[in-house]
Amino acid sequence: MNGFLEYVPGDSLLHRMNPVAKLLFAVVFAITCFCTGNLVFLCVMLVLGLAMAASCGMMKQTFGLMKAVFVFSLILAILLIFTTPAGDRLVDLPWGYIGTGSILAAVTTIVRLEAAAIPLFLTFYVTKMSDLSNSVVKVLHVPYKYAFTFTSTVHFIPVFMNDMKGIMEAQTARGVEFDVGGIVNKVRLMVPLTVPLLVSSVRKTNSAAIAAEVRGFNLRTRDSGYKQYPFAAFDIAAIALAIVLLAAAICITVLL
Amino acid sequence: MIEIRNFSFTYRESADPVVQDINLRIPDGAFVGITGAAGSGKSTLTYAMNGIIPHCYPGDFYGSVVVEGLDTCEASLTDISQVVGSVCQDIDSQIVTSIVEDEMLYGLENFGVPHAEIDARVDEALTDMGIADLRDRVIASLSGGQKQKVAIASILALKPKVLMLDEPTAELDPASSLQVFQLLERYAREHGTTVVVVEQKIALLSQFADMLVIVDDGRIRFADSPANVLAHSDELLEIGVNCPRSTTLMNRLAADGLYAGSVCRNVEEACVALAEVIA
Repeated sequence: MNGFLEYVPGDSLLHRMNPVAKLLFAVVFAITCFCTGNLVFLCVMLVLGLAMAASCGMMKQTFGLMKAVFVFSLILAILLIFTTPAGDRLVDLPWGYIGTGSILAAVTTIVRLEAAAIPLFLTFYVTKMSDLSNSVVKVLHVPYKYAFTFTSTVHFIPVFMNDMKGIMEAQTARGVEFDVGGIVNKVRLMVPLTVPLLVSSVRKTNSAAIAAEVRGFNLRTRDSGYKQYPFAAFDIAAIALAIVLLAAAICITVLL
Repeated sequence: MIEIRNFSFTYRESADPVVQDINLRIPDGAFVGITGAAGSGKSTLTYAMNGIIPHCYPGDFYGSVVVEGLDTCEASLTDISQVVGSVCQDIDSQIVTSIVEDEMLYGLENFGVPHAEIDARVDEALTDMGIADLRDRVIASLSGGQKQKVAIASILALKPKVLMLDEPTAELDPASSLQVFQLLERYAREHGTTVVVVEQKIALLSQFADMLVIVDDGRIRFADSPANVLAHSDELLEIGVNCPRSTTLMNRLAADGLYAGSVCRNVEEACVALAEVIA
């Protein structure tokens, strides 16, 4: 993985799938995770997500994502433990208690967020950003300017990160100690650097807008895209599977 | 043809004009090199010719700039862009996609090039720039020089009547810079394209350009054939433009009455001239 949301080349089934099918599958998959609180079902979804990651050789990157999601979901989980008094009483608190239900709710939240994130993450890494934007314009009729805004944002993230790195290295060369005093000190030293970064970002964004305009941005229509994005049998099967999973999640929630 | 008459421009945020009293006529198919010291107004001059001024940078615009019959103040930037292909100075900002092939397709798709022609155009431009093997590469993984070649190829694929390049070899090594200029010269000859290049490497410009334009403090100091411009090597040095050393050497010999031939633009010409002097 080279950078944030940067395409990882490959020839797996997921790489070859229609970008719209991938996106729809991932979105419906994520919605499904939020439609049920059944831990077993969510675990099955998580395993399914990991199987997809394995199929396109993205396990290492996926574990990296899971680690990041775990840190975020842990905050929510801790909040849930202290604010959801449910199940058998384990620990008494001044405002209630921590019960087995509290822990179950916390674990469910962690598994849910992990499961929901994986297909979305994979979609962005196994699909070229231009294919994603061109296909949503062609197939879903999303106005091109919105698709372009999204792809440009993603395109510029590594550029701005490089700029920030450059500014920090220049400051380090002049004696600023970013590596001393922990994260708080690092953030304190970085705050003033956001101004030059902001200035260079605005300048680059303006140049990019001009560059796009002089290459006919305003002439682009839905039919301008050269590549075609036909749906294959597997794409339809994937969307059908996502719908079946969604229906199953709703049934489990309603029936149990 | 490009015709600039009495052109002056002051950016909104500055008090003084960046370029003033510019009069320049560039015939069809000419290869023009623009050079000058940093901040002399070279880029502003190209912005005026590709329509970025006045459409993107507001300010006080005096005079007229007409490119292939389009008055840049009256025509839209999109209309001008269909005639003038521009390669910007900041390559990272010019690149709008993540994969080389997509970058090549971007302009072709937007300008409505028939889909049947697109693949051949992409192939031709990438091959011309010697980067056919980079077609499927992620742009972020390329070197600065490779990105620069991709940016140039993406504009060449559009086959514009006028090519406007702002320091296209800034990130390239000498061999690649020479290769780019050779390609531009061949391309201009084969397609009848007018090429305008802003460049600091005056040796390259004098070797390939039909006309050299020297900009000094917002004004055109010289606009003539390279031989005629390089004859003023001492004046050029005063305004921050370094002539090739071989040119300066032969000009000094000429000033001392030891050489009476034409101005030497490169080492090869100087060797021949020196051999004559010594003989």
